[in-house]
Amino acid sequence: MEDFFTYSVILGIFVATVKIATPLLIAATGELVAESSGILNLSLEGTMTIGAFTGFLVANETGSLWLGLLGAAAGGAALGLLMAVMTATVKVNQVVAGLALNILGLGGAFFWYRSVYDEGGAVALPTVDRFETVAVPLLSEIPALGEVFFDQHWLTYFAVVMVPLTFVFLYRTKYGLELRSIGHNPEACDMRGVGIISRQYTAVIYGGVMAGLGGAFLSLSEAGQFFPDIIAGRGWIALAIVIFGNWRASWILVGSLLFGFLEATQLSLQAQDVNLPYQLLLALPFILTIAALVFNRSRSRVPLALTIPYHRGER
Amino acid sequence: MSDSGTSQQADEAAGSAGGSPPRGRDLRTALMQPDGWRLERRLEVRPTYELYATVIALAITAVLIGLLVLLVGVSPFDAFSSLYEGAFGDRESALETLVQSTPLILTGLAAAVAFRAGVWNIGGQGQFIAGAIGTFFVYDMFPGLPAPLLIVAMLVGAAVFGAIWATVASVLLVRYNTNEILTTVMLNFVIDYFLSWLLSGVWQASNTPYSQTERMAENTYLPRFFDDSRLHWGFAIALIAAAFVHFMMRRTSMGFEFRAIGVNKRAASYKGINTAVSIVAVMAVSGALAGLAGAGELLGLHHRINFEFGEQQIGFTGIIIALVARLHPVGVIAVAIAFAGLVNGATQMQISTGIPAALVTVIEGVALVLVLVAAVACRYRLRRGAVHADESAEGSE
Repeated sequence: MEDFFTYSVILGIFVATVKIATPLLIAATGELVAESSGILNLSLEGTMTIGAFTGFLVANETGSLWLGLLGAAAGGAALGLLMAVMTATVKVNQVVAGLALNILGLGGAFFWYRSVYDEGGAVALPTVDRFETVAVPLLSEIPALGEVFFDQHWLTYFAVVMVPLTFVFLYRTKYGLELRSIGHNPEACDMRGVGIISRQYTAVIYGGVMAGLGGAFLSLSEAGQFFPDIIAGRGWIALAIVIFGNWRASWILVGSLLFGFLEATQLSLQAQDVNLPYQLLLALPFILTIAALVFNRSRSRVPLALTIPYHRGER
Repeated sequence: MSDSGTSQQADEAAGSAGGSPPRGRDLRTALMQPDGWRLERRLEVRPTYELYATVIALAITAVLIGLLVLLVGVSPFDAFSSLYEGAFGDRESALETLVQSTPLILTGLAAAVAFRAGVWNIGGQGQFIAGAIGTFFVYDMFPGLPAPLLIVAMLVGAAVFGAIWATVASVLLVRYNTNEILTTVMLNFVIDYFLSWLLSGVWQASNTPYSQTERMAENTYLPRFFDDSRLHWGFAIALIAAAFVHFMMRRTSMGFEFRAIGVNKRAASYKGINTAVSIVAVMAVSGALAGLAGAGELLGLHHRINFEFGEQQIGFTGIIIALVARLHPVGVIAVAIAFAGLVNGATQMQISTGIPAALVTVIEGVALVLVLVAAVACRYRLRRGAVHADESAEGSE
């Protein structure tokens, strides 16, 4: 146990925290925008898996990681588009549609992967050269802080930058405010002539793109390969983070880092063979999320029309 | 309730839209050209329409999957025939399909009951795990019980644990108004890690590095129907449960209340139904059914809990089954057997045609998407001609 509290172990935990938080943060800020338009996209897990796969596929075929990211965005957008068609146009129950696309995403990625790479039962998994970390000049020289925050992947910096941008978009731009109005009161927006469906499409597809990029972080920056269980519940954690953060971008950042920290700590505990129930740390994000739902209920910022499909002329 | 359709559109067309919202460009209005084809909401959706729509959706699924298989370079006929052979081709595989369908029927019923009441219990997976934990808990607590009594006690334990785990979400819902979709999803993970903790701690079998319990004593095994198949009494329990659910929903006041809160919660409460009690009750029934599925798998097949226990996602598949079956108990049995056949046949298909067994998940996903869309689509009909005000009178055709 004394060994556990050494400088290198603790620094390692913080570096890992930021890495683990990255895909969660990217997917969660995307989901925040989608949910702001009143559409709960439960298919994050499947969308991230598709993104991780299409990203890997394109990177592996073209040899370019950046094209891989484009592929991941396209894969996520495709599933987001399907989600938008089902919920905004056809008005299928959002929960059910999300679960359906989740299955489709997981199964589709797995099937596609097996069809492309599993010819004749080859054992060797294909890999791509991963993204290198990018050290920010000067800032990365700061002891400890530099290593934790300023020697990370491009996607990590992107994720952090997206937090204030998402806030500004949702609270300070006309389009973002209209989006949030739709999430709260679509009928009023309809009367004011704000096109509901087009905005919901934009928001949900954007959420899909972000989830795809979050998945690609795992396949292109972390693993350098794809395997069917690569997302391993992170899509659901990202959903939890949006709730934990009470639909606010800044608290989503806090939530991502907190949940990332718990995961990093439990990994480190296991690696060091410290005899503590690491499962508690893994379960804690979900328990905290339920607690947040209960304690935030009086000041909840949940979009009021979330999961309620809007039919004109009906109540 | 939602007759709006025709009469209100007629009002708009006549320009007498006193207070009604202006037209936008959503799909419905775009299709409503004065003389062209237009979508019109049916005033009444007959059950047969829903059945036809579901069958059509499944047929389209088959065509799409056939195209996908063609894309991979295999003849769809070969793929489907090997899939069928593996699922129902001979006595052995047909019985094995029933084995696989057993937990799916129960988790499918669990989802169907809750969804009928408008309670979105996405926690079937967690309640399934809770049921397995309850089974082993009773086994662990009462080692001295004679076998028949012990089996009954374990089944009750499974149902109770499943119900308790569902009740956590339902109490949060009625007490604090927390969204049950979100809480049940979260609780799935919590119990998963709780099981993992049990398996690597108090329940871990001695003399093994694996996260698993001791193998249970043979007198706890559910009896099998035949010598040459794994088909166990769990299947009968599942069928009885389906009959029970059907009877409860159709013939008891409790079932009536469940359906009432599912149709219109506010109206139900005006009628004097205590909606909070009904929500807790329906979640408990739902959780108990999922819990029984866990007991069946444990006592009929695996006889020990290991870390792979939850990996088949029985609870999640149950949700898909319930939805494809349009929440009908008999439909749940049929769809569960069909889905089990897919899973069972996929191995055969992979061996003889080389198509990845993961195709099954794609089939499930596509089928669900199309069935959902079809369910909405059959609420509308396509008509030609101008909108007339007098059309509001028609309801049957």
